[in-house]
Amino acid sequence: MNTTLAQLHFEQTAQILVPSLVHGAGLVIETTLIGFLLAAIFGILLAVGRLFAWRPLRAILYSFLELIRGTPLLVQLVYIYYVVPLLLNLLASMLGYKTDVQISPISAGIIGLAVNYGCYMSEVIRAGILSIDDGQTEAALCLGFGRFEALFRIIMPQALRSIIPSLGNYLVMMIKDTSLLAYVAVNELLLRTQTFASQTFFTIEAYTYLAIAYLILSIPLSHCVKLVEYKLSTTRR
Amino acid sequence: MFNIFNLQKNYGKTEVLKNITLRIDDGEAVCIIGPSGSGKSTFLRCLNLLEVPTGGRIFYNGSLLDQELDSKRLRREVGMVFQKFNLFPMFTVLKNIMYAPVHINKMKYKDAEELARSLLEKVGLANRADAYPSMLSGGQQQRVAIARALAMQPKMLLFDEPTSALDPELVGEVLQVMKTLRSDGMSMVVVTHEMGFARDVSDRVVFMDKGYIVEEGKPQQIFNSPQQERTQQFLNRIILGREVVQNEYNLSAAPL
Repeated sequence: MNTTLAQLHFEQTAQILVPSLVHGAGLVIETTLIGFLLAAIFGILLAVGRLFAWRPLRAILYSFLELIRGTPLLVQLVYIYYVVPLLLNLLASMLGYKTDVQISPISAGIIGLAVNYGCYMSEVIRAGILSIDDGQTEAALCLGFGRFEALFRIIMPQALRSIIPSLGNYLVMMIKDTSLLAYVAVNELLLRTQTFASQTFFTIEAYTYLAIAYLILSIPLSHCVKLVEYKLSTTRR
Repeated sequence: MFNIFNLQKNYGKTEVLKNITLRIDDGEAVCIIGPSGSGKSTFLRCLNLLEVPTGGRIFYNGSLLDQELDSKRLRREVGMVFQKFNLFPMFTVLKNIMYAPVHINKMKYKDAEELARSLLEKVGLANRADAYPSMLSGGQQQRVAIARALAMQPKMLLFDEPTSALDPELVGEVLQVMKTLRSDGMSMVVVTHEMGFARDVSDRVVFMDKGYIVEEGKPQQIFNSPQQERTQQFLNRIILGREVVQNEYNLSAAPL
């Protein structure tokens, strides 16, 4: 057994792969932060639209939601990266223009994450808004606030208390799902590891380090989320 | 102030209000009484457009509601107090009262705080300014809700069963505050089951049943010699049991 273990090259792998993973981690964090922020904004808009918009618009938003929830994130990413630019070029050429629209891997990745997570988060936000008693809105309206003022000044601050912990879980999920961005050529952790492993054949070593890298990213984050959840549940209403 | 003609409200096929015609004058206190499900609350909520009428016309100071007058402006002049108080749980009592004056009337923070404190004094809760609503009793919460409505300096207050969600022993303190408001000349429309209050404080009593106004008149007339059989039935059933209890609690209510 000792001889077998000695054949592994953890030290060499560490010297080459770990600095590369550290670089990649920066990209992962950046992508997650931007993606999550956009997803939250998109989720709020979608939730509010689904609750208060003009009826036909609500139906359209709901169909979009079904479309996104009914297809895998990986497929959506590939679609945004490879298909959407082609469709845009096709559309342009039908209108008589010659274009060469392209989308960078990282933008495709961020858009895909934001749209996909935005849809799931919108359901959490919607449920949070619905959980607040109608009397709160009525009280705000009767004081002279408008519908949207009532929503954002009175309802949302109360709803956030139940929304934030769930959104935190989505944040932890998103940081792990950035690994899918490897398939649209974003040079994040998985792609870096794959490249390294295929060049060196240090497969065991490389992917073990990759897994550890994700643990280092996600465990502290999920503990932060738990802490926030705890703080919210113990502070007075 | 309000001139209401043939007001109707349907929910689908259910008719909740059928041809309500009523006039409410400036400075008047009108109590609306009647059995549960008679449309009293719906009627009240139509007055500030929390419910949108499905028929008829309401004029507020001569302007047709829904067209000439936007609901925001109407609601700043006609305040409302709810059965379930609906205080904002994340704000302190003081902030609950100051919130609308600061954000809607753009009142200076200091002035709003002064106003809020004087209103708390008025409802007898000056020492609870920094409490959160969940720390108060129902009666105290309702008094804060009244102060919150008063902070917008409304011309009229609508009360939607303000004492129905309270423990019997807390009813008196809320009614006492409402009486004080009344003696200051505040116009009010009160949907209530408190017959003692309706009899002693209001200028006019309106009896509603099944979406109609069955009878209206001076309190003495409604309570002592009701003209309609339905009114007599209702009063016989409600008033005999309640009045005794009511008077007792009015006597024992803490002075403000």
